[in-house]
Amino acid sequence: MSVAEVMPPVVQKQALSIETIGMTKIFGPLVALEDVSLKVEAGTFHALLGENGAGKSTLVKCIMGYYSATRGQVLLDGVEVKMNNPREARANGIGMVYQHFTLVPSLTGAENLVISRADAPAIIDWKKEMRALTAFLDRMPFRVPLDIPVASMAAGEKQKLEILKLLYLDQRLLILDEPTSVLTPDEADEMLGLLRGMAKRKEITVIMITHKFREVTTFCDSVTVLRRGRKIGGGNVADLSTEAMAKMMIGDTVIREGAVRSAKPPGDTVLELVALEAEDEEGLPALDKLNLKVHAGEIVGIAGVSGNGQSELVEVLSGQRPFSNGRIIVKGKPFEPNRDSFYRLKIFGLPEEPLKNATVPKMTVAENMAFRNFDRPPAAKFGWWLSPGPMRDKARELIARYRVKTHSPESAIADLSGGNVQRAVLARELSSDVDVLIVANPCFGLDFASVAEIRAQIIEQRNHGAAVLLVSEDLDEVLEMADRVAVMSGGKINYVAPIGETDRTTIGKHMAGH
Amino acid sequence: MSDNSLAIVFFALVGGALRVSTPFMFVALGECLTEKSGRVNLGLEGTLVLGAMTAYAVSFHTGSPWLGVLAAGCSGSVLGAMHGYICKLPKVNDIAVGIAMMIFGTGVAFFFGKAYIQPSAPRLGSFSLGAWTGNAQITQALQINPLFLVGIAVAIVMAWAFANTKWGLIVRMAGDSAPAATAMGVSVDLVRFLSTTFGGFLAGVGGAFLSLYYPGSWNQGLSSGQGLMAVALVIFARWSPIRCILAALLFGAAGAIGPALQSVGITQGYYFFNAAPYIMTLFIMIASAGSKRAMRDVPGELSITK
Amino acid sequence: MVDVAQPLSGSGAAPNRASDLSIRIRRSAEFVAIPLFALIVSGVLFSIFLLALGKSPGDFYSLVWRGGFGTAFSIQNTLQRSAPLILTGLAVAIPARIGLVVIGGEGALVLGGFAAAAIAIPLVIGHFPPFPTLVIMMAASIVVGGFWIGLVGYLRYARGVNETISSLLMTYIGIAIMNFFVEGSMRDLSNPNKPSTMPIGDAYMVGYIPGTQVHWGFAVGIFLAVVLQILMSRTTFGFAVRVAGGNPRAALAQGLPVGRLIVICCAIAGACAGIAGFYEVAAIQGRANASLVAGYGFTGILVAFLARQSPIAIIPVAIMFGGIVASGGLVQRRMELPDATVLLLQGMTFVVLLTSETLYGRFKIFQPPETTDRT
Repeated sequence: MSVAEVMPPVVQKQALSIETIGMTKIFGPLVALEDVSLKVEAGTFHALLGENGAGKSTLVKCIMGYYSATRGQVLLDGVEVKMNNPREARANGIGMVYQHFTLVPSLTGAENLVISRADAPAIIDWKKEMRALTAFLDRMPFRVPLDIPVASMAAGEKQKLEILKLLYLDQRLLILDEPTSVLTPDEADEMLGLLRGMAKRKEITVIMITHKFREVTTFCDSVTVLRRGRKIGGGNVADLSTEAMAKMMIGDTVIREGAVRSAKPPGDTVLELVALEAEDEEGLPALDKLNLKVHAGEIVGIAGVSGNGQSELVEVLSGQRPFSNGRIIVKGKPFEPNRDSFYRLKIFGLPEEPLKNATVPKMTVAENMAFRNFDRPPAAKFGWWLSPGPMRDKARELIARYRVKTHSPESAIADLSGGNVQRAVLARELSSDVDVLIVANPCFGLDFASVAEIRAQIIEQRNHGAAVLLVSEDLDEVLEMADRVAVMSGGKINYVAPIGETDRTTIGKHMAGH
Repeated sequence: MSDNSLAIVFFALVGGALRVSTPFMFVALGECLTEKSGRVNLGLEGTLVLGAMTAYAVSFHTGSPWLGVLAAGCSGSVLGAMHGYICKLPKVNDIAVGIAMMIFGTGVAFFFGKAYIQPSAPRLGSFSLGAWTGNAQITQALQINPLFLVGIAVAIVMAWAFANTKWGLIVRMAGDSAPAATAMGVSVDLVRFLSTTFGGFLAGVGGAFLSLYYPGSWNQGLSSGQGLMAVALVIFARWSPIRCILAALLFGAAGAIGPALQSVGITQGYYFFNAAPYIMTLFIMIASAGSKRAMRDVPGELSITK
Repeated sequence: MVDVAQPLSGSGAAPNRASDLSIRIRRSAEFVAIPLFALIVSGVLFSIFLLALGKSPGDFYSLVWRGGFGTAFSIQNTLQRSAPLILTGLAVAIPARIGLVVIGGEGALVLGGFAAAAIAIPLVIGHFPPFPTLVIMMAASIVVGGFWIGLVGYLRYARGVNETISSLLMTYIGIAIMNFFVEGSMRDLSNPNKPSTMPIGDAYMVGYIPGTQVHWGFAVGIFLAVVLQILMSRTTFGFAVRVAGGNPRAALAQGLPVGRLIVICCAIAGACAGIAGFYEVAAIQGRANASLVAGYGFTGILVAFLARQSPIAIIPVAIMFGGIVASGGLVQRRMELPDATVLLLQGMTFVVLLTSETLYGRFKIFQPPETTDRT
């Protein structure tokens, strides 16, 4: 018997069962959810599978009362309940852990827990509350420090605190939205295991939104698959193969075949980072004497749990953050991140969340696509006079070539869907000769088709001899694309290995800092 | 300077600190509350001026300076409510709205205040902490107005409330992470609206001090930037009510340097000393803005330091 | 060159030139319609306010018209009053393009005017020829004004100091500096009444545009507005500024020198305000004193916002405000309104204008037709 199974029950009440009947949610012309009926038995661990945009978030938000469903009912323990807002959902025992933390950074763990109670007292007697909290923690399978501000906690601790908060509030149905994206593989397994144990003891029911098949097959009892707002299938995990689940998720969409990797061996070192140091927003060290080499014609994938300096590394390379020590060497010469060097050395980048980091949302698609060469002919004459005409023509050409769906080059780029914004940025960055490419979380939040296309584009650049640095918080993405895998932990690269000579477990260990 | 002059200047500084700091204190506390909830209100300069005029006018008509103080607070909360309401509309730039409210508040105050420049209204009294010493200088220097004590009490209550009451935590939540607050069912807009309104109330009371105690009259040159400096003060105080009091005392002393030196006959550089508070504010802003500690304490939702 | 992705489902709608134009027209229409609407609303509110006071709005507007635009004299007076407003409006609009809210025009105007008056003293005493003197004076205004606001930009980029607060503080400091010198070492002792610098004398004053009673400052203001409009919309510099103003992170990732752009834009702004100060001294007052602090800088803020930070639109808006300012005396005397009436009207208009920002994107008529398939 595992430790989890001998622990006494942690919550007084029993797990909830939930059933949705004909859940439908329509936003204007968009049918986000259509007639979804599913049943989750009490004490089970249920997975909600589907690609981005399939309606998983919409479904749980309807259950949580964030959205009021256009049609449909929710039954808790067989009784129909109407929940008009998250407070009512919570009062009924349903709690949700979101992808982005809902903890208040400047408050301590204890303050976060106490204030989240609907019956929080107007005047807080901290002695009494701390006694109650300590007693509560003693009953929990995991603990976190309660007296430091949440901002100082690591991502794994924050995630545990989020879950503790739900248990503290006596929630008996837990909905988790991609809960393991910020955890190392070991932390993820530990947490999911603990929750599964609690479910088995009928203390809680869990619905987990995920796209990771491994987690589904290892921890979940049953699964529902959504696609385009509809329930396509489901059932017991034991009865379904991974292929069957994948087929249900993707359906008949033609996914572009992954680009074939050319077998040419990598060339010279194009990008080299030597003992690189940099600070984060608060003055704490983010990059700690980081060393890395990237060769022409290879993809180096940096895996790691978010918060270990990846964002800062990408910012340093793209000129958004100064570095305090160390050197960056491109093609053998010291590198200064300025416009001239980017142009001469053919350095391009696909930052994460392109709308936020790579575009000006209010400017038009044509203007956004011109960022790299607005100061060169044909857009610029005499080096300073701007001609909008040639700019628009070039944009039209790129829009057609890269299939960017936009009403016109003159539309504001913020009007485009996420996939098309990424395509527009791709068109801008990858349409000329690329020697160095810095990519960060390129496929976050995109549908399968866009994801496949973007990954194929990146691999094609690699085939054409570009040195590609791929920073991703999605380990599967790194494993699929990288020639060499590096792990970033605590601001350093603590492990590098060719993809053929390593495995998920080893990488996972290094991600945790060992 | 002779020993006696030094003593005079010292006591003048202390007295000045106690006096001049009070409006700073109130405006800073009001802005502290507003910014803790995640909104910045640059319009408090206008609120200060309107509060001063309202207090003077009401005191003149009713004969009660304390009613004037109350009225000043109410006028401040009206301006605060306007600011709060407009800023919660989507796509509105809250910094620009603050400037607009500053101009608007000042305009309203000067418009209606014209009639009250000449007449004399009942002022707020004061008592001296130093009366027991029998020393005229000390008695004079330690004259304080009850509002000073009220300000300190407000700061203490605020500091305690932020840590020990449900509402205090909710305000901090709204200012640090709006998504977290919304997830908990708190209406972030409402919390900020109420904080901005009450912040305006406090700033209005600060204005009442100017017209009803020191300098103790109403005219169009009454305030020049105190409201603005108080906003900088809050950043310097890293959003702690107690540190706001200390910073206000510091500013009060700085503002009292000019008149203190004048009282011993040093009249050169009058305008330099007039500029001293602004220069000091600028240096403080430069120091705080670059400070990593301040970055750690800033409420996450505040736009002023992004 | 890289191969293109295989087409997925269907093909993108072929963009056509006519729809491009329609989008641009809609955008421009929204640009004009909403501020116009705000102006009308604030006019209505002000009228209600006047009615509540027992005054007639009709009187007010007709007096504004008479005092501002009705006669040849009043129009020229208006144009003259609008000259500094164009310049102080530009002083807010140019930094706004790079995403900054800078409101220090008043301080740069005062110091610019003071610098011009100060540097004129040795030149006038030494009987330097008038035209070169004026050129040197204007240069001094540009340098001092440009430095004053450029510093604000530098502090913002290098130290993250909020530019709205710092520019306002710099205004107070600048006024104190001017007063310090004007009442102290630079004071013209032959004038016992009002502290001011030595007058530069009629021979050195800037004259009128031939055939008019409007001084050259107005022409310079128009010229600068046009030049800056072209700079912002048709040069690579302007494009870089717009990118940096729209998303500094994206601009940095493109290698654009955001810090340099910020300081340059602020310096241009300060130079414009400084030139306004120069004309106040060289064309109107003839000397530097407390009259320089006339609120033009603050009115300029509203002008810029009403013109949606577009240099060319600042011209008509500044003229409108010039009319209100020019007729202010007449209106206030005839209707027995306090001096602060104009200030109140400005504050009201500004608040309504900023509130109207929320209307952008809400009216279907201004939006491009829906993009159908959004995958």
